[in-house]
Amino acid sequence: MPIQRWTLHLLRLLFPPQVLLPDIVAIDIGLTVAVIVIGVYLTRTRRWGWLWHEWITTVDHKKIGIMYLIAALIMLFRGGVDALMIRSQLIAPNAHFMGAQQYDEVFTTHGTVMIFFMAMPMVFALFNATVPLMIGARDVAFPRLNAISFWLFAFGAILLNMSFSIGGSPSAGWMSYPPYSELLYNPGVGENYFLLSLQVAGIGTIATGINFLVTILRMRAPGMSLSKIPVFVWSALITSSLVLFAFPPLTVALGLTMLDRVFGASFFTIAHQGMPMMYVNLFWIFGHPEVYILVMPAFGVFSEVVPTFSRKPLFGYEAMVGSLLAISFLGYGTWVHHFFEMGAGPSVNVFFGLSTMLIAIPTGVKMFNWIFTMWGGRIRLTVPMLWQLAFIPTFVVGGATGIMLAAVPGDYQYHNSYFLIAHFHNVILGGTVFGMLSGMYYWWPKMFGWKLNQRQGTWAFALFVSGFWLTFMPQYFLGFEGMTRRMATYPAGLGWTTLNLWSTVGAFVMGAGFLVMVYNILWSRRYRDWDVTGDPWDGRTLEWSLPSPAPEYNFARIPMVQSRDEWWAMKQEGRTDEVKISATTVHPIHMPRNSAMPIMLAFAFFVGAIGLIFAWFWMAILGGLGVIAALAYGSFADYSEVEIDAKHVLQTEAQLGRVES
Amino acid sequence: MDHEHPRRPQAPTGHGDEVELALLQPKMHATQFPSLQITGYILALVLTLLAFGMVAYHWVPVPSLIPIILVLAFIQGALQMGIFMHLREGRGTTWHLPVLALALFVGLGIVGFSIWIMMFKSGVS
Ligand code: HEM
Ligand SMILES: [Cu+2]
Repeated sequence: MPIQRWTLHLLRLLFPPQVLLPDIVAIDIGLTVAVIVIGVYLTRTRRWGWLWHEWITTVDHKKIGIMYLIAALIMLFRGGVDALMIRSQLIAPNAHFMGAQQYDEVFTTHGTVMIFFMAMPMVFALFNATVPLMIGARDVAFPRLNAISFWLFAFGAILLNMSFSIGGSPSAGWMSYPPYSELLYNPGVGENYFLLSLQVAGIGTIATGINFLVTILRMRAPGMSLSKIPVFVWSALITSSLVLFAFPPLTVALGLTMLDRVFGASFFTIAHQGMPMMYVNLFWIFGHPEVYILVMPAFGVFSEVVPTFSRKPLFGYEAMVGSLLAISFLGYGTWVHHFFEMGAGPSVNVFFGLSTMLIAIPTGVKMFNWIFTMWGGRIRLTVPMLWQLAFIPTFVVGGATGIMLAAVPGDYQYHNSYFLIAHFHNVILGGTVFGMLSGMYYWWPKMFGWKLNQRQGTWAFALFVSGFWLTFMPQYFLGFEGMTRRMATYPAGLGWTTLNLWSTVGAFVMGAGFLVMVYNILWSRRYRDWDVTGDPWDGRTLEWSLPSPAPEYNFARIPMVQSRDEWWAMKQEGRTDEVKISATTVHPIHMPRNSAMPIMLAFAFFVGAIGLIFAWFWMAILGGLGVIAALAYGSFADYSEVEIDAKHVLQTEAQLGRVES
Repeated sequence: MDHEHPRRPQAPTGHGDEVELALLQPKMHATQFPSLQITGYILALVLTLLAFGMVAYHWVPVPSLIPIILVLAFIQGALQMGIFMHLREGRGTTWHLPVLALALFVGLGIVGFSIWIMMFKSGVS
């Protein structure tokens, strides 16, 4: 019976033993129930149309920002659960909460989700939510491309996240080094999921980079020269250019690995004279700039948060911008520090060790500038400011241990030990995540129109930060004691037991902090504390001159910028009426129209990716044709704009009390 | 406080709309059939397939392979830049040149460094 055999084969492919573990099946059931419940709810309340028109087809940067944020928080949850599973396994010696294969899958998913599907979208959430508002623009330069980026990211995330229930998760770590990512040693579709999901999301990321580069270079309000844009916008500009240069090497590395796995090529295989180390080289040409892509926006957030809550202009604007530029430049010449042990020789290693250490200088400059900004200021300990204050010591420790790792002989000891794990969690959690959370609390009122409760936010902060220190400080010592990363379990009697126990306790405290934060959000949504002023923090930059949330066209009247902290200057000089319009100055506003093309395009990519993952080439071709069809539709039939007429603008602004009599 | 008080910037007409609209508005009204772009596209595909064929099916002896592929890559790059990246258009050369120089610098840097890094002979690869 060929049909029967075929079905059986398909079932084995889709549901290999590793996806039939009881916990995974339980999660599958839970997810199915959740999807059904949401579907029923949407149908009952007749919300499908709303979902489609207001969100799915939107090209409004503010809504796209909100969708990125929600996705990032969900992914933070997913990655966090993975982290707790890892830490539960390591709570005691010889624990077998998970088998080795599942453990590998969990840490791989944890790293991949956290870097690509939590941190990146969190960064893009804040870019989208604020950059156009800060530079006095009505949207990004390419609004529809922006939606395409989001949906490509979303479908990439779906791809990676479905791997654990259909086909099996990747298990070669978030860097997926060969030879372990080779087909020979890692059969099944898990690795393909990794390659294709990052590829799909990566296209969107590159597009976002281009979009924000163009937006910031070309769409600033009149008078806002580059020397007047807020430092957060500078960080967005530099991050975008880093994306532009860093992601193509990743695309190449992933693409060639895919050719190896799916089409039998041997770029990185051990057999047939492939060069596995070339993958490592390509990966880190991307990977090191990537860590700066993640942390620069956090630097940007703090450069907004600190002046606002110290009531002082940023200390050393030029130095701040200069150090961002220096970091991005130097950050390109350091990638070998991730594989000193490859054996490229003393000259290569010394060169890259030194270039790595140099980065500490501009980073230090920034630290001092934030401190000098606070110096003598009137500091308000709001939640965004608390995250900033926690960031400073955390990041200093992370940077200092980075220097230790950059010392080549030392790195031969620390490499791939828990010392390394502690280092990069110190900088990524303590830098990127603290920064993004600070930014989230800071701009939340602007994004949603209501504030997050301060007391609960403080609790979430306190739990999270103390959990953080408790988790990662012991890991430095575990590294010194010789515990290597990615051990599925460990024997007793090596002096690791107590340290691991503390680390696990800390992780659960952090988890509790996250839960309080979710509670904080839900509670604040239930008992909304509306921000009617548009300027709840007494802010300095242009986004605070707008109502919260900003109307769809952002600025009824594009401001004419005269100084760096323009809104602050307006308030000081009594010019706040400049943001108002009157019946004579109001103009109709052209805005881009919603479009279904972005989600169609992303879906076609999704279908094509599944085809490649399972080597169903008919499906890959179908997806490819779908991509072409969506692009053709987008080019010939789709693009148009709407005109918001002057009367409507006037009405909206009048309701907001922004019309001059 | 920011103590500088520069003169009011000269805005095009006051409300600043046209600055943005000029960019939001795609140039959708093609004046002629894009035969150049289509030729360029086909050429790009041909160049790619040629390079692929030479490696996969051993069309040329190994020693001459690398120079030939480099030449093909150069033509490919020029094609992309000239036809699809609007490099031939005079508009905005002041923006083009520094960015191109930067891209060249980073690109050459990556390639050069990679060659240097991968030159080691310790038998790992
Ligand atoms: C002063 C600044 C920094 C220095 C000197 C530094 C140095 C290093 C070195 C030498 C390594 C490789 C260690 C090894 O593999 O043995 C490393 C790993 C790493 N660093 Fe940093 N680093 C710095 C800042 C950062 C920042 C800001 C981030 C991210 C926001 C970051 C994220 C990472 C990650 C993710 C890894 C390891 C990835 C992995 O192997 O899985 N680092 N760092
Ligand atoms: Cu690095």
